[in-house]
Amino acid sequence: MAIELDDIIVDYPGTRALDRVSVAFRTDEVHGLIGENGAGKTTLVSILGGGRLPTEGRMRLDGAEVRLASPGEALARGIAHVSQEGSLVPGLTGAQNILLGAEPRRLGVVVRRAALRAQAQAMLARWFPDLTIDLDRPVETLPYADQKIIEIVRALRGDIRILILDEPTATLPAREKERLWAIIRRLPAQGVGVVLISHFLSEILALSDRITVLRDGRLVRTFAAAGATEGELTALMLQRGHGPTESGVDRRRHRRAGDRVVEVSGWRIPEAQVGAFHIGAGEIVGLIGLTGSGHFAFARSLYDAPDLEAGTLRLGGEAVPRVAAHEMRRRGVAFIPDHRMIHSLIGDWSARENLAMVHPEAGAVAPGILSPRRETAEARAVMQRLSVKASSPEQAVGELSGGNKQKISIGKWLYGAGGRYRLMIFVEPTEGVDIGAKREIHDLLRRLADDGAAILVASSDLIEIADLATRVVSFVNGQALGDLEWPNFSEQSFIAAMSGATA
Amino acid sequence: MSAPPAARGAAPAAAPRAGEAGRRRKQLFLRYSTLVVLVLLFAGFSLGVDRFLTTSNLLNILQQISMLTIVAIGLTFGFAAREMDLSVGFMAGLAGLIGPTLLVAGWPLPVALAAGLGAGLAVGTVNAVLVTLVGVPSLIATLAMGSILFGVNFLISGGRAIYGGLPESYLVLGQGRLFGIPVLAFLMLAAVLVAWFVMERTIFGRYVYAVGGNLKAAELSGIRGRRYRQMALVISSLFAALAGLLLSARLGSGQPNAGQDYLLDGLATVFIGMTMFRPGTATIAGTFFGALFIGVINNGLNLLGLDTYIQSIVKGVIIIVAVAIVSRTTKLKLL
Repeated sequence: MAIELDDIIVDYPGTRALDRVSVAFRTDEVHGLIGENGAGKTTLVSILGGGRLPTEGRMRLDGAEVRLASPGEALARGIAHVSQEGSLVPGLTGAQNILLGAEPRRLGVVVRRAALRAQAQAMLARWFPDLTIDLDRPVETLPYADQKIIEIVRALRGDIRILILDEPTATLPAREKERLWAIIRRLPAQGVGVVLISHFLSEILALSDRITVLRDGRLVRTFAAAGATEGELTALMLQRGHGPTESGVDRRRHRRAGDRVVEVSGWRIPEAQVGAFHIGAGEIVGLIGLTGSGHFAFARSLYDAPDLEAGTLRLGGEAVPRVAAHEMRRRGVAFIPDHRMIHSLIGDWSARENLAMVHPEAGAVAPGILSPRRETAEARAVMQRLSVKASSPEQAVGELSGGNKQKISIGKWLYGAGGRYRLMIFVEPTEGVDIGAKREIHDLLRRLADDGAAILVASSDLIEIADLATRVVSFVNGQALGDLEWPNFSEQSFIAAMSGATA
Repeated sequence: MSAPPAARGAAPAAAPRAGEAGRRRKQLFLRYSTLVVLVLLFAGFSLGVDRFLTTSNLLNILQQISMLTIVAIGLTFGFAAREMDLSVGFMAGLAGLIGPTLLVAGWPLPVALAAGLGAGLAVGTVNAVLVTLVGVPSLIATLAMGSILFGVNFLISGGRAIYGGLPESYLVLGQGRLFGIPVLAFLMLAAVLVAWFVMERTIFGRYVYAVGGNLKAAELSGIRGRRYRQMALVISSLFAALAGLLLSARLGSGQPNAGQDYLLDGLATVFIGMTMFRPGTATIAGTFFGALFIGVINNGLNLLGLDTYIQSIVKGVIIIVAVAIVSRTTKLKLL
């Protein structure tokens, strides 16, 4: 038995999440599904699990066309979905959770406790006879692996043939993972195919019979897992093919790092550890890594590190005692975050008000007192410099296009700043931005570096990093590895560095 | 995109998406519809109720809404920072007891007023600490604080009104007239103007709105979010204390259960205000017109001879309608 997806297209407003993806999932395999964030994995499994209907394309179950309009319909066809976040009720026992909503009852009202226990135990034993899990304890007191197993047993209620597991080990401590791996490996032999989503490539390789790679909403390839390596998987996930360098003359050959602006040593945050890092005036340093490898968290921690565990940061030679946003802003560090509508902008505020958020004093007539006229003049100047397309500085930022929103997010740090920033940190500077605005933003970053700022760019767009950076630091599993120096940049060298091979 | 920047930085508008345009039209309609209803109400009462449209009654309305407006201004600061202060009613009651108690005991007026406001400062500070440092949501912390203050008010007053020997200089605040207009109306107007200026024309006000609009974005812009949430809660208590002092001057005595109505009326006022001007945002101008709205309705229903419990029903309906309008037309999540 198998479920086949043919030419699936899914359109979200403004973007195509899946573009003609065809793939078949069988009941006798563990099928690994990998791709970077935004590649379309989640959309694909929500199609499979009845969470959403495709815009175009067909699904066939054992050759017969099916339409799965709801998770209920998918369940009825034998497809169950165990989500990443977990869906257990923490205070209920394992047995109560396994039979949640299907408890044996007397007269349709009173739950029969003994029967409930026995049934739950029987279900556990049917799938995993050699496992002992105390089903009488509240699940919140059980090890995470056992909680996941209970969730899986519940999902297998009914006649399930395909089980979707979304990041099943994401919340598990390392020593519990093996326990769950063994469970997953056994399911195909019992007639249940597994679709496994995971960011851990070692896990994908260890468990999968076949692997499907998605990139930018497209199918890259489906292939047998035997013999594949992590390096190959990384390459397939990331490789977009190298376009020509966008700025005709590469100015990098003339660029030389000036005085060291920032020096970091012994830096430890929960997501990353960096022994030593430095960046000089006029430099553009790129940070690369797979999702979750710590490069974004590190970039952010140089501006705001509430959970810093150890390490010192020197700014212009002077040690900074506490790395907190208001403190670093005062000292000349700018931070332009990813997810701009969450981390940077207020959607129903005007462009003027958003721009004035960091340095409102530039629009003041007396200390603390604002003049809308001055604010408008200053906002216009910034919008002109960044060629923001808006009807006026009074237009609400939420109504602008992605590129113009991003320009406002950057413009906040130019409004009234007068070149005061020594270090500017960008995370995903061109996320969701059209190609024209992307080029403009890249040019702006180069100009800021030319004017003497140190520019740090963390991005998942490797071509962007290749075009911009003078030096690149790659992160693997929270560790910063050696630098790559221009001009030895290529997608291949980046990918090798990101998968842990020595650069 | 190599086109030169258009003159004065304003290139053609990026076309808003269809849903966006619909939302904007709704908001535009909303911005003024509440004012239109207010005008209609006013006209209706003027035609239908005998003694409504007289100078003395209109001045009466101004006097009636002045304390409410002052409480609601405090609430507006809280709402702007996305904090709700449910202790304002009993806070007003507390200040309204402390002032007269000291005056009756022979303390000079400035001391009595300072003590009342000082109580507001203290309670506001406790609220702020509970909310921002301890981490109790403001809704719960201030609800509990209200309960505490209710008890305190009965403890310090022994459940009896405090009156007799209140100096003229105090009573004139609540009962006096200047050029035939109630002193209270001038005080309210002053409070509205000052608060409007602070919220709309100072960096402080802008930061309070930023913290309420998107705390994460404000903090990553280098704004100390916690500090502005604290200040908003303290300001809220201070305005409540001021209103309480004025209320006792108006009544000529300190009443242990005075001020209780200001919580619900104040919330209704702010919610009505949130349908106006910048829908979904609490603004001083909106709050002022919200108070007028409540004042006109209360006064009109009074003159019609309707009982206070009918007014209570009307008020409840108004709150639900106002919040329903705001929630359905903006992306605001109140809680």
